[in-house]
Amino acid sequence: MAGSSFYASRGLKRPELSRRDWLRLASAGVVGASASGWLEALASAAATDPQRRRSCILLWMTGGPSQMDTFDLKPGHANGGPYKDIATSAPGTRISEHLPKIARYMDRSVIVRSMQTKEGDHGQATFLMRTGYRPQGPVDYPSIGALVARELGNETSELPSFVSIAPYRFFNPAAFGSGFLGPQFAPLIVADMGFPNPMGGGANDYEQSLKVQDLETSREVSKAQADARIDLLRGLEKKFVMQHPGAAPLSHQTAYDRAVRLMRSAASRAFNLEEESEVLRDSYGRNQFGQGCLLARRLVERGVPFVEVSLGGIDNNAIGWDTHQQNFDIVKRMSQVLDSGWATLMMDLQTRGLLDSTLIVWAGEFGRTPKINPQRGRDHFPDAWSTVLAGGGIKGGQVIGKTSPDGMKVVERPVSAPDFLATVCLALGIDYLKQNDSNVGRPIRIVDKTAKPIQEIVMA
Amino acid sequence: MKGHWLWLAGLSVLWLAGVAKLATADADPCTPPKQGVPGGEAVLSAEALAARIDAILDARLAAEKVKPAPLADDAEFMRRVYLDLAGKIPLASEVHDFLQNPAPDKRARLVWSADPQEKTLLDSASYVNHFTNVWRALLLPPSNNQQVQVSLGDFEIWLRKRIGSNQPYDQLVLELLTTPLGSATPQMRNQPMDPEKAKPVAFYQANELKPENLAAATSRLFLGVKLECAQCHNHPHAQWTRNQFWEFAAFFSGIEARGPGGPAAGAYEAADRRSLKIPGTDKMVVARFLDGKEPQWRPEVRTRATLAQWITAENNQYFARAAVNRLWAHFFGVGLVDPVDDLNDQNPPSHPELLDELARQFTLNHYDLKYLIRALTGSKAYQRSSAASDPSQKDPRLFARMAVKGLSPEQLFDSLIQATGYMEDKTPTNPRLNPVMTAPRAQFLARFASQEKRTEYHTSILQALALMNGKFIADATSVEHSMTLLAIAEYSYKRGTPERIEELFLSTLTRMPTPEESESLVRYVESGGPRHEQKAALADVFWALLNSAEFFLNH
Repeated sequence: MAGSSFYASRGLKRPELSRRDWLRLASAGVVGASASGWLEALASAAATDPQRRRSCILLWMTGGPSQMDTFDLKPGHANGGPYKDIATSAPGTRISEHLPKIARYMDRSVIVRSMQTKEGDHGQATFLMRTGYRPQGPVDYPSIGALVARELGNETSELPSFVSIAPYRFFNPAAFGSGFLGPQFAPLIVADMGFPNPMGGGANDYEQSLKVQDLETSREVSKAQADARIDLLRGLEKKFVMQHPGAAPLSHQTAYDRAVRLMRSAASRAFNLEEESEVLRDSYGRNQFGQGCLLARRLVERGVPFVEVSLGGIDNNAIGWDTHQQNFDIVKRMSQVLDSGWATLMMDLQTRGLLDSTLIVWAGEFGRTPKINPQRGRDHFPDAWSTVLAGGGIKGGQVIGKTSPDGMKVVERPVSAPDFLATVCLALGIDYLKQNDSNVGRPIRIVDKTAKPIQEIVMA
Repeated sequence: MKGHWLWLAGLSVLWLAGVAKLATADADPCTPPKQGVPGGEAVLSAEALAARIDAILDARLAAEKVKPAPLADDAEFMRRVYLDLAGKIPLASEVHDFLQNPAPDKRARLVWSADPQEKTLLDSASYVNHFTNVWRALLLPPSNNQQVQVSLGDFEIWLRKRIGSNQPYDQLVLELLTTPLGSATPQMRNQPMDPEKAKPVAFYQANELKPENLAAATSRLFLGVKLECAQCHNHPHAQWTRNQFWEFAAFFSGIEARGPGGPAAGAYEAADRRSLKIPGTDKMVVARFLDGKEPQWRPEVRTRATLAQWITAENNQYFARAAVNRLWAHFFGVGLVDPVDDLNDQNPPSHPELLDELARQFTLNHYDLKYLIRALTGSKAYQRSSAASDPSQKDPRLFARMAVKGLSPEQLFDSLIQATGYMEDKTPTNPRLNPVMTAPRAQFLARFASQEKRTEYHTSILQALALMNGKFIADATSVEHSMTLLAIAEYSYKRGTPERIEELFLSTLTRMPTPEESESLVRYVESGGPRHEQKAALADVFWALLNSAEFFLNH
């Protein structure tokens, strides 16, 4: 399966195992007889498990990435900008020259070029794209991550079913939560970018930031003592929670239960990225996004149904895609980070036999104006922009929708936020019309029933 | 004779029609404010207003056949009012004193007293600290903007001074909205902070000096109206059009960032400019108030001042209502209008009559914040227990029982410090920027972000882990660092285990343990726990109390 041609055709160097890695794998009983077969052996338990359901990895591009400079270029037009476009593994599909590695996976991907969402405010647009609904009055709509966690997750699993890596939640914190689905579907957040870390460390401090902080009891406390403390705590709060029905006490109790489960689990070793080979880690890219993608693969491998990795900024800049100024310099650098992380993720999932059961979604809250502004930037533009769906459940190699030659409007197949999320649900095998009890007494569908999913790209 | 009566009758009909028109126009809380308030209104004292609050709420409860919860006992009340006013729980000694105090009006006097010698919450430094935090969090959105970090210190000083002197709220807002920008912007680079010169420029910088951001923030904070949706298109479910949004934003059209780096440089203001072009179009709009009225421009009054005067005018019912609603939400967990900043036709107040009355009295009492606080905390409704005693109490908008509220990060940290007697290293990390921020505090605050919906406070797994295993708690529950634990554990003469357990409860949960709790915990401590050591077992109980939902929440 993963012979040398596999790597060569993708222009990737075949990963070399260091002797240390080899020995570690050998002692774990993972390494097979032939040197080229070790990766397939790894793909055993997770991939071939008949109980395995689909997983989703959302690559969330905070700030609104420019479609004109990524997946829907207009070279030659005044709005086009300086980038060239390149051919991809999907015949006829061309994308930005700064995404060469992911270009080789366009045969497994679908580009939607006709997103049309009308919301130009970061907060509103983030909410709309991540929940499928506008933030309206009293209803606490859950984000897609929580919805998927509820449908595909397992109540008894040690790891939470929704993990959010490096999110920048500041634009709309509710869009990253579980809303009326309740605290058990709230995400475990790792490397929270929304609030500045007062102790320093930035987007490249990933060795620290991509860990779950305080997962272990402090050294002075023995395991027996820790267990006794938890028992005392549970005894103490039982009456209080019973006498104070409501969201806040319940959330507290649930969070502690889940935290304890996580502490006691073996699955929490998913966060030990140092178990991976140096070569693979290099390939993902030595930055928070790249290593975040690696963490996403490890979580999906352990059955987490929904993981999102946000790419906001690099070099301490939290909202990098929001390029009101210096669009072309910034997008080029962002693209390089994106390219390495995403393409390696596709390769890694594929080699482990996980790509067919993992849906990758690439999206931000809106696109950017085709007209270049006086600061060499592009501003918010929800009228015609792009997203990408790849991997499991997707019939790759297609482009859906078309924009006008100047990029200003959609001329074919407009796709709304609900349409998009309904498509995501279908690709994951979820009935998007299913209803959940909400906090306002009436049931609310996962996606609004007027949504028109893009049926033709979903594999049955 | 007959003609005389007909004339009188005709006049009466006209008069009645006029009154009816007035009455129906007033009935809709969403119509823009009218000029002039019907005269001859009684000015109510705080106590009288508290009684009015109860009368209106109770009438509604009776009508809906909802059984209100009983009043909270002294311990429950004390903890709640301390958290709401002082931003932290009381000391065990303070709890002892209050519980033993026989005075029948002790609850009101805990809040405020006419006797200047009496120590009350509203006159405490803690009140100033806490409400400075509360108003600052409200007025300044969290921002990564570097320049805001620098002028944050000034803002803090300005705000603290006004809260400390109980400046009338309308004057506070007027000052904020008319603070001078331009070349005199205090950049505070290398200068010591002069309290007199401190200005709230950070408000403008946090909004990136952009008219649209300032308009949205001003409207949301001081008028209780969420305009943002109307920025790009007509508001989906309220009456605001895109035009109206930009006409309102035009009041800030004179403000520009100057120099490289946008808002990071100084601000410049063409103080008389009052029109701007709607972005993406060629349409120019002129500044206009939200109720559609055109401002009466006066030559000596600048554009922003014109807006500020309209907002804080006595007859602007948006302003008073928004203020009163926010304070209501602070004490009761959920506003009379919820969400607090989104008053529109689809989102009416739960008790329109009450909102109006509170707004009127706030205005008539010269926007005195302490007056309002005394009225709110003096009501029976505020003093109701938060424990559910009847299934009919489910709807939080009826206020049949007190809501359980989440704590702000500052409240949680300060309560933990108080409870544990943690010997904090008090060196500020950057005294010029913030005299109160120390390293442990900063680290802690970063983990526990503020949340909008306090009654649905969401605890995350990471927060649970931080409280269970984090260094702060580990230190604070160790005998080496915790004064409270040390005192309780070490000074054992005349103190048996039951008394020590009591002290732990009073220091953390502000109450005495129940007989069942006492019995089981005494047994645990005397057995010594897994380490067979009573001191360690006490630390275990302390840890459990600090990690409980009862400590973590405001009830």
